[in-house]
Amino acid sequence: MDSYQCMICGHVYDPDRGEPSMNIPPGIDFWDLSGDWKCPVCQATPDKFKPV
Amino acid sequence: MAAREIAPDIFSVGALDFNRRLFDALIPLPQGTSYNAYLVKGKKKTALIDTVDPTREMDLVTNLVKARVDTIDYLIVNHAEQDHSGSLPMIAELFPQARVVVNEKCLDLVLHLLDIRKERCMVIKDRETLELGGKTLEFLITPWVHWPETMVTYAREDRVLFSCDFFGSHLAESTLQVVEWNQVYHAAKRYYAEIMMPFRSSVRENLEKVGALDIAMVAPSHGPVYTRPGLIMDAYRDWTSDQVKNEVVIPYVSMHGSTEKMVDHLTEALIERGIRVLPFNLVVTDIGELAMALVDAATVVIGTPTLIFGPHPEALYATYLANLLRPKTRFISVIGSYGWGGKTVDTLKEMLTKIQPELLDPVYIKGAPGVKDLRELDRLADTIASKHREIGILSPSG
Repeated sequence: MDSYQCMICGHVYDPDRGEPSMNIPPGIDFWDLSGDWKCPVCQATPDKFKPV
Repeated sequence: MAAREIAPDIFSVGALDFNRRLFDALIPLPQGTSYNAYLVKGKKKTALIDTVDPTREMDLVTNLVKARVDTIDYLIVNHAEQDHSGSLPMIAELFPQARVVVNEKCLDLVLHLLDIRKERCMVIKDRETLELGGKTLEFLITPWVHWPETMVTYAREDRVLFSCDFFGSHLAESTLQVVEWNQVYHAAKRYYAEIMMPFRSSVRENLEKVGALDIAMVAPSHGPVYTRPGLIMDAYRDWTSDQVKNEVVIPYVSMHGSTEKMVDHLTEALIERGIRVLPFNLVVTDIGELAMALVDAATVVIGTPTLIFGPHPEALYATYLANLLRPKTRFISVIGSYGWGGKTVDTLKEMLTKIQPELLDPVYIKGAPGVKDLRELDRLADTIASKHREIGILSPSG
């Protein structure tokens, strides 16, 4: 599973880490995150993320 | 500063701040700055685009009085930041009939930062227009240039783009339009590096968006007005592109001279290989100049000794800023000297969370650099040269 980086603020979503601040556990693919998921740092929508 | 006409019935009414030397308690302003506000007088209605920093409130009020403005129908808020909207509460009080025109994200900020009442506000959407009678204002929302709510206003008939911070420069200049392009280019590049560069991909998108308009004049919120908009827009295209230059930036600090000797040797070695070098002794460096150097360079080499088992704080600060500004740097390395041990290289590597340059093998040595160490630096110079050749920015002959 790829990590994805926010093009606005640089935050990286790493599926091996999950998103602890949003209670998202490890092991979830970026594209399987819920529909209203936004960048925890800057609120950007998923379309602003690119794989790294 | 007097109210001055830049186009028929469009006036520059903002303030110059020749003496300001620091912004955001961080950014040096060696040439002061200006807070540009613009008045657009239609046949039926009048709009004021942005205000000024609260320290220059009276300049704006004086200009409005001199221009005999007794009615303002719309207060357009391109940007909620204090240097442009700080005087909005006072102007809104002086002109109680005026509607405060904001986009949705800007509404949230003016309510929270400026204590404007919601009833005063008129929320507009992207591409919405406002008719003033012979003057049509079109709003284009351009997020992250450099805040979430930033937008620009386009006066259709006169083809003037009120770009707010977009294309701005911190330059206090009494002549309204660009006089010395080289000076403005330098100031605008510095401004881009310090504020816009972290949002490079958004800036590029917004550049395309405004590039589709027919623009005769760009009137930013800081610095001179551009009567040749192509120049500044081409400059932005260059800075926001993925293209890097055959340059190595070396931000460094040295306590007892060992790291400095290494920096000097590496600088010479790179020059011999046909590469431009920009060393910055962090003790005497203006961080704006360092930021500017990061706009184009392909490679950054951080030079630091080890202090209490980690990088020298100046090097930490420079690396923190470099990570924050998210330049397009392709290659990074670390050089320096330690006395007995530490985690300097790892600590610096761990700080690079927002950019992914290729890490070239560091040259981190014990004590003063000997012949063996200088040869390692030559090898690093060779590596950098071959990387630059690989990406086509250094000719094969070097």
